[in-house]
Order: sequence, then C-alpha cells, then structure tokens
Amino acid sequence: MFEARLEESAVLKKILDSVRDLVQEANWDCNDDGIVMQSMDSSHISLVCFMVRASSFEVYQCERNVSLGVKIDSLAKVLKCAASDDSVTLKADENEPNTMDILFESKKNDRISDFQLKLMVIDQEMLGIPESDYTSTVEMSSAEFRRIMGDLSTMGDSVTIEINKGGASFSTKGDIGSGNICLQKSASVDKPKDGVKITMVEPVKSTFSLKFLNIFAKAAALSDTVVLSMSEEYPIRIEFAIDKDVGYVRYYLAPKIEGQES
Amino acid sequence: MGIRGLTKLLADNAARCRSDQELKSFFGRRIAIDASMNIYQFLVAVRQGSDNLTNEAGEITSHLSGLFYRTIKLMEVGVKPCYVFDGKPPKMKSGELQKRIDAKKLAQQEAKKAEETGDVEAFEKYSRRINKVTPEVIQQCKTLLKLMGVPVIEAPCEAEAQCASMCKGGLVYATASEDMDSLTFGTTRLVRRLWSGATATNEKKGIRPMEFNLPIALEELQMDHSTFIDLCMLCGCDYMDSIKGVGPTTALNLMRKHGSIESVFKALRKEGKHVVPEVDLSEIRQLFVKPEVLSNSEINLQWTSPDEAGLIDFLVKQNSFREDTIRSGIKRMLSSRNAASQARLDTFFKKKPTAAKRKVDEDDTVSSKKGKLSHAM
Repeated sequence: MFEARLEESAVLKKILDSVRDLVQEANWDCNDDGIVMQSMDSSHISLVCFMVRASSFEVYQCERNVSLGVKIDSLAKVLKCAASDDSVTLKADENEPNTMDILFESKKNDRISDFQLKLMVIDQEMLGIPESDYTSTVEMSSAEFRRIMGDLSTMGDSVTIEINKGGASFSTKGDIGSGNICLQKSASVDKPKDGVKITMVEPVKSTFSLKFLNIFAKAAALSDTVVLSMSEEYPIRIEFAIDKDVGYVRYYLAPKIEGQES
Repeated sequence: MGIRGLTKLLADNAARCRSDQELKSFFGRRIAIDASMNIYQFLVAVRQGSDNLTNEAGEITSHLSGLFYRTIKLMEVGVKPCYVFDGKPPKMKSGELQKRIDAKKLAQQEAKKAEETGDVEAFEKYSRRINKVTPEVIQQCKTLLKLMGVPVIEAPCEAEAQCASMCKGGLVYATASEDMDSLTFGTTRLVRRLWSGATATNEKKGIRPMEFNLPIALEELQMDHSTFIDLCMLCGCDYMDSIKGVGPTTALNLMRKHGSIESVFKALRKEGKHVVPEVDLSEIRQLFVKPEVLSNSEINLQWTSPDEAGLIDFLVKQNSFREDTIRSGIKRMLSSRNAASQARLDTFFKKKPTAAKRKVDEDDTVSSKKGKLSHAM
C-alpha cells in the first residue's frame, strides 16, 4: 500500500494550481524519494515538473515504485472539499492503482472526510532533462517576478530577458509601443527575499512567450523567491522552491528563435 | 482507395502504432498534405444547404473557402503545412481510375433520377458524389496557396509517394492523408483526420487526428518494410485487386506463413481454391519501392508572407468572397507568422524510453494471445 500524509492540504492545493493550466492529466511517480510529476503542455513548448520530498510528509510509505495516473482537474475538485489546515492522506494500491483514496482530517480531529478518485492509465512521453549548468541565474522575489510578467503583458506577447553585469532586464514590444524593466543586483538586509541575486558566467539574452510565463508566475503562491536559470538559445528554467524544503515546482520553456524557419 | 482493410488490420495486430493526438501537439511541425484528397473533401463538405458555394458566375468556390480557412487554422496552431499535388497517374492505376469514373457516372444518373422524383435526401446524397476535382479546381487551389505563402509541391506522379519520400528524408514531420497506402510508400508518420482537431464540434465529440507510426507498426507486425509492401498488395491496393476470399487477416497469416507475395500466389494456385490474378508483381512492387518522385534536394520548402493585395483580388474580386472576412483571415495569418519563431521543448530535451517499454511488455502478451487465437481458427 502506498500512503502519504501531509500536515496541511494547502501545499497540495497550491501545487495543483501551479500545474493545472498546463496539464490535464499526468502520472505521479511515487518512490522512496517522494512524489514526482513531469509533463509537457499539449503544444510541447513548455514542461512543468514538481517534487514533494518524502521527508516533508508526516507519514510516507512506499514499498514499491508506483505511477498514479491523475486527472489534475478531478483531484483539484476533491481538494476543494478540504479546509487549508486539514491534513490530507493519499493512499493507493501499489499493485493495482485503479483508484486513489483521499482522506481529510480537521485540526481538531472532529471531522474526517474520505474520497475515492478514479485513476487513469496514461501513456506519457517523458523527457530526460539534463542537469546542465546554466550560464546565468537570477534569484528574485516571486511576487516581483509575477508583477513584471503581468506588466509586460499589457504591451506585448513575448519578453526578452537579458542578464549581464549590470543586472537583469525584461523588455517587450507590441502594437502600442514598447517597455523595459531593469533590475539591479541588490541585497536587502532585513528582508533577504526582496533582494536580487545574480550569478553570471556569461551574459545571456533570450526571448520567451509571455503567455506561458504568466501561467508559471502563478506559482508565486508556493514560494517567496524564484530562480530563473538561462543559457543562450536554450530553454529557461524557472524554479519555485516550496518552503521548508518540501520540494519544488520547476518550469521549462523553449525560447523563441528569430528567423527560425523549420 | 488505399489498402483494403489495413486500418483494421493494424488496429487488431499492431494497436500500438496508432495514437490519437491533439492538433496542438503538431505545433511547429512541417506536415506534407496530400492535396487532391483534401480538396475533394472540401468540395463534398463545404456547402450551403445542398449546394456548393459559388461565385457570381456560378462557378464552385467551396474548395477555396475550405482551403483558405483550414490552412489558416493549421497555421494558427503553429503547424507548417505544405501541399503536395498529384502529377500524372501511374499506368497501373488505370483500372482503379476507370472504376471511379464509372461510380461518378452512376451518381450523376441517380442524382438526376432523384431530382425528377423529388427525393431531396437522395438528391443531396448523390449530388455530393458527383463532385469531381477538375484541373481548373486544382489550378485555383495552387494559385490560392501561393498567394498565401504556403509551399506547393507538384509531384511527378502520385502525391502520397512524394509525401512519403519527404517524410522518410526528414523534410517533413508527417504526411497528412486519408490514404493508408501512404504507409506502404514508406511514410514514417501518417496523420489522418488532421482537420478534425481544427473544429470545435469535433473537439467536443473527442474526434482527434489519428497518427500512425510505421516503424512501430513494423515492429509489432514483426516484419520489414518490403514484407509489409507485399502484405498491402495482397490486401488489395490501387494497382491490383484483392483476391476473393483473402481478406486482411488471411493475408497477414498467408504472408507470415510464406514470406513473400510470390510464394503466397504459388501456394494459392496449387491449392486451386482462389482465383489468382495474372499480374506482374515485381512491377507493382516497384511502384511502392521506387515510385517516381522529386528528390528532397529538389524541393525548397519556404513559408512566406501572404500577398494581401493578391488575395483580395483573387478571392474578393474574382470569386465573390466578402472582403472583411478575407482581410481578417489575412490578419490571422500574419499574427501566426509572428508566433512561428517559438521553438519546441523536445528539440532540446530528448525523450526517455522508460514509459514506452512497460507498454511493449503488455502489448506483447496481448498480441501473442491473438496470434494463438487466429491459429486455432
């Protein structure tokens, strides 16, 4: 029997919210390390993956590796029935994962709800993501990231992100005009999460679709900070670490390549 | 048309080669479209009531409307379409073509009869069948596509063969055709019902483009491509009729037993139960193995900006389309061209084989069960 108990359902709710705009259904691979999901959106432009580490669960039992085919919307519906501070327990039969049992218990232990969700057999393409060294990274407040993406969307469809010695700049161009937002390296002493940290081996400049970045930015609910990692003409990685070492949600987005004709 | 019963044969014996796809998943892919088949579909399907759309002179314009809007739809999804037109038909096909001409004549007579007796339903049914893709229609389609900036390829002979050669050479990602013999010609990926993903009603009904993957099909059938060609010929193709009493399943069993169509014919003749046609098998096989096609280096695929003035002149002035709808179509084309610079993620990250492997094991047990069953029969 696979069993995992989280102290608060809120984390799971937020994770679902961060993937549901991109993915309808996906396999949740459960093993000794924790629960992992990886899926591309249907146009194969972006990929989202999350991991919730085994250590972050109150109870985590996984005798055999198992893939649970989850319809994201359905699970989100079930989770709506839980209060944010309810604990949530997921259970499934490792040998025949046809259904997932979902149990909510209130803080005062006076309310227990129990749901069964049907699982699916999903034939899914998995991509091997190389643990590559990115030439430049920016760590910044996730709320700030969300705001920049929102602001630029009023002007254009895509954003050019440039990281160099001076800082990180985000610029866009549209029918009505153009815009540019520039962040400088800074360290905020009292509130470290508001600082902007830049590590740079080589300057880098790439263009990405704002439609996707805005979807990713919603994951700001999971984490105070976000790390953007980039290399020239390579997908950008956008990582939200979930607080208290619970795990992460990562997005990968293929760049727009000008003059590409194929 | 195509290979008799091949779809079902593959569904029964190589289910893993077929998958339903969302139209979106073809984002950024080049797709070679078998033009004549699709134009014919437009003539049949794009209608106002029971009549084709026409311009002021009363000439049919259904094909232009269909081609224009559906191509835009594909471009908006991010597909890069190119259209491949038939050249002259191969000699061996004359029998099949004669049959089609006869069928048209019959439909014409039936339609006339229905009109006289006032049977509206039957009239509609048969009048759809009369449609013929005339050289003028083809010429207009080519003109339209060129104005839209979409590549047009004129195959020296059969369009399916040309598509297959482009697909094999990696010039395009897939062939879009309804014709299963695209696989016989060696198309590695065949997409049927490509358009179905483009309309909202089909999406709701769950009708999606179907992708057939040839390498997987061959792996599942455990045969090489030349044996597969023999199998298709035995099922009955455009160049030779099927043998009475030999359906697809029997054909597959016979091929497995004898290995080549020549040996199958020999065995059948010996048995004497079937009427085996006297045809030149190696000549027909050559049509599939070495069809007359342009080599990939002779083909230049280039998508260019639509010619706005030209389109307005051609569609609005000459063919009575409404100017505002055409202009908004052109706008959609232009904005889809801007989106075309977006790369796909799977060009950077490679697929992991793990998930597929597990599935192979499952399918193996299923197919071996089926194998036993058919032996028992």
